[in-house]
Amino acid sequence: MITVFPAKSIITMNASMPRAEAVAVRDGKILETGTLESLQPWLSKHDHKIDEQFKNSFIVPGLIDPHLHPSMAAVLLPTYFITAMEWKMPWGTTPATRSPAEYDERLKEAISKPTHGELFITWGHHNLWHGPISRSRLNSIDSKTPIVVWNRSFHEVCMNDAALELLEIKEADVANATQIDFEKGRFYEIGLGYAIQKLNPYILAPEIFKEGLLKLKEVVHFGGQTTIADMAVGLFDFETELNTQAALYENEDNPFRVELIAHSTVMQKGNSIEQAEELIAQLPERNTHRLNFGKRVKLFTDGAFFSQVAQLMEPGYIDGHQGEWLSTPEQFEENARVFWNKGYAIHVHCTGDLGLELAVDTLQKMQDEKPRFNHGFTIEHFGLSTPEQVFRLSKLGANISANAYYVHELSDIYSNDSVGYERASSMARIGTSFKEGITTTLHSDFTMAPAQPLMSMWVAVNRINEKGNLMCEEERITPQQGLEAITINAARVLGLDHEIGSIRAGKKADFTILEEDPLNIDPIKIKDIDIKATVFEGKVFSLKSQ
Amino acid sequence: MIPVTVIAGYLGSGKTTLINKFLVEASSPIAVLVNDFGELDIDSKLIDNEESLTLSLTNGCVCCKLSDDIGASLESLKNRDISAVVIEASGVSLPIKIANYGLSWPGFTLNAIITVVDGQSIARLLKDKFVMHTVKNQIQQADAVLLNRSNNLPLEELHKFTTNVIDENEISDFSDLILKEYSPIQLVKEGITDHASFQTYVFTSNKPVNKEKIKEYLLSNPNIQRAKGWIKEEDGNCFLLQMTPSECNFSSSNFNNETRIVIIYIGEGLPALKL
Repeated sequence: MITVFPAKSIITMNASMPRAEAVAVRDGKILETGTLESLQPWLSKHDHKIDEQFKNSFIVPGLIDPHLHPSMAAVLLPTYFITAMEWKMPWGTTPATRSPAEYDERLKEAISKPTHGELFITWGHHNLWHGPISRSRLNSIDSKTPIVVWNRSFHEVCMNDAALELLEIKEADVANATQIDFEKGRFYEIGLGYAIQKLNPYILAPEIFKEGLLKLKEVVHFGGQTTIADMAVGLFDFETELNTQAALYENEDNPFRVELIAHSTVMQKGNSIEQAEELIAQLPERNTHRLNFGKRVKLFTDGAFFSQVAQLMEPGYIDGHQGEWLSTPEQFEENARVFWNKGYAIHVHCTGDLGLELAVDTLQKMQDEKPRFNHGFTIEHFGLSTPEQVFRLSKLGANISANAYYVHELSDIYSNDSVGYERASSMARIGTSFKEGITTTLHSDFTMAPAQPLMSMWVAVNRINEKGNLMCEEERITPQQGLEAITINAARVLGLDHEIGSIRAGKKADFTILEEDPLNIDPIKIKDIDIKATVFEGKVFSLKSQ
Repeated sequence: MIPVTVIAGYLGSGKTTLINKFLVEASSPIAVLVNDFGELDIDSKLIDNEESLTLSLTNGCVCCKLSDDIGASLESLKNRDISAVVIEASGVSLPIKIANYGLSWPGFTLNAIITVVDGQSIARLLKDKFVMHTVKNQIQQADAVLLNRSNNLPLEELHKFTTNVIDENEISDFSDLILKEYSPIQLVKEGITDHASFQTYVFTSNKPVNKEKIKEYLLSNPNIQRAKGWIKEEDGNCFLLQMTPSECNFSSSNFNNETRIVIIYIGEGLPALKL
C-alpha cells in the first residue's frame, strides 16, 4: 500500500527538484516526490491512500544530529533541572531561575514531590545567579532528604548532611584534601572525582541509565531528529552503552536510528592501535536495523572548548595559560595512519586552532603517503580556526562538523576573558567553510548544546550570542545552507547520503514536519518553528502540542 | 597518608626506565601506576600474580595499569599494604594536574613531581610547534628535572626554564635522590643494578661506515633497548650516535677515531651488524 503525504510545501534538499507538493511512500521508502498529478503513474497502478494530516505543514528531510553523546545524556537527564537559562524539554520547559531565593524555593518544592529516589540530585546551579551553595544552606532547605547539587559546569557538587551520611563520607577521611571543603559540603575538580566514586552506584545504576536513555529518546524526537550519531561509543562502558541502546532503541516504536562511531582509545585499552583497528573492523557484525557501525573511527587532538583547554596557536589565551593535548602528536599521527591506510573515515575532535593544525598537518602527511579521495576525514567541533586552515582543509578534501552553539553561549565571555574579540567572534568559521566548498554540518554535542538541529541552524544563520550581539556577520550562512547542514550534509558526513538526508525517489522515508517554512521565515524565528511530527521510515510519530 | 610521586616527561624521555628502577630497588612495597605494562621491564620470576589491570610482585610491589580515572586507581590501592605510590604521567600530561590527586584524593599526600628530560631531544621539543608549551610546562612544574642522555646538551636551554636540573650521569642512586632531596618516601636501594637478561654487544670498525645503514639495523631489531657510540663516515665526518627504541639520532662530533658502538639488548641471538 502506497501512502501519499500532500503538504503545503516539501523542501526536498535535492537540487534537481528543490520543491514538491506531495511525497509517495511505500514500505518505509520514498517512491517519488512531485505533485498529486505527477505521481499518477504510480497511483493509478497501485493501491494507495492520501494522508492529509500534513497538508498545511512543511516537510523537510528528517533532521540529523551527527555528533552527540547518549551516555552523557543518560547520566544528566534523570537529574532534576534548576537552571538560570530556560531549557525546553519534551516533558516540560524548565523556567529560568535567577535569584538565590527563587532557587531555594524551587528546590524545596521539587523535593516535596514524592517522585524522586532515595537520593535527590539537581543539576544547573550557577553561583552568579543562585548564590554560593553550602551544606548549611541545603540543610536549612531539607535536612532529612539526601540532596546533591550538581553545578552547571559539571565541575562541582555540594551535599547536605543527609547525603554525606548516605554516601558514608566522613570528615576524618577527607580532612586534608585540598579540593574538598567538608565544612561547606563542597567537592570540586579532583574532590569531585572522589564524590563521583561514591555517587556512581546511584547515577550509573542500570535502571537509572535506562531511564536516562529513554529520556534521551524523547529529547531526540522532540528535536525533530530521525538520525543521530553517537560520536564515541564507550565513554563510560562500551558494552553497557551498546547493549542498553540496542535494548531500548531497536524496536518499532523508536523514531530514529543511531550511527555508532567507535572511540579508538576505548577500543585500544592499552593494546596496540592495530589490535584496536581489528576490533573496530568487527563491530559492523553487531549492526541491527536501527543501530549501525560503519567504517569510521573517532580520534582526538586537543582538550575541551568549554573548559578552555583547547590548544591555541599564537597569541594563545589572554591570561597566558596553555591548552592540553589528549595524546602526543606522534601518537595521534601513528593512530591516524593505521586507520587511514585501512580506508576508514576518521572523525577528529579538534577545538583550538593548534589542535586543528595538528589534524590538518596529519591529513596532509596521509595524503602525501597514500592519496585518497572522498575519504570522510572530518573535523569535529571546529571551535577556533584560521581562514588558511579552512583553505587547506578544502584542498585536502576534509569535511567539517561544527558546534555552532559555541558562538551563542561562549563568544561574549570568550571575547572578554579568554581569547579576545577577533578570535572569539569568528569561532565556528562556518561561512568560510561553505565558501571553500567544504561539506559542512552542524551538531549539538548534546549535552553541550540543546539537541535541536533547528537551534544549531538558527545560530549558524544568525550568529547572535546570549547577550544579543551579532558576532562576525561575514561567517553567517544562508537558511538554505543551514538546512543543508542539518540534513544532506550531515548524511554525507556520516556516509549515509545514499539513504537519507534528502527527499527523493529511493531514499528512506524520513521526514520532519514543520509548521513554517524554514527558508522563508524571518531567520531570527527559525529556532522557534513548531515541529508537528517526525516520520521515520514511513511511520508517523506525532509530537503533542508544545 | 600515602605519599604520591609523579613522574612526568614527554614521550620517550625515560620515565619507564626510572620507574623500573623504583620497582626493583624498593625495600618496602610501593605501587606504580603506569600507562602501559608492555614497557615495564619486570622479570617474570618476580611476578607473583597477574590480573588484567594489576601485577603483584614477589617483593610486595604492585603495578597498576592506569585508566582515565586516576582516582579509582588510588581508591583501589587503599586496601593494599603499600608505603608509597608512583604515578607515571602520560607524555602530554601537565604534572600539576596529576599532582593534584596527591594533594586532594583522601588518604594520599603529594610527595614530589619529577620530570624526566631527554637531553638528545629536548632542544628539538622546545621548538616544536605542537608541544613546545607542553614540554616547557612539564619542566617548569617539576620539583626536580632529571636529565637523561645529557651529552652535548647546552644546559642554558634548560636553565631558561628551571635551575633545578639534575644530570642523570651524576646520580648513582635514583630512589635515594628522591628520598633525600624531597621526601620521606621509603625507597631504599637494595643493590640490584642491572637486569640479568640484558646483553651488551660492541661493534667496532676501522673502515668508514654508512650511518643510514646503521640506523636501519638498530631500528629494525626490536630487542635493542639502547645504543650509543661514535661513527666515522667515508667523507671523514664523525657523529655521536644515540638510539632508543623509538629514536635514532646522529649529531656532529669532533671525535676522530675509529667507529665504536655499544648496543644493549634483551635476550639471545642478536644478528651481527654487517656493513
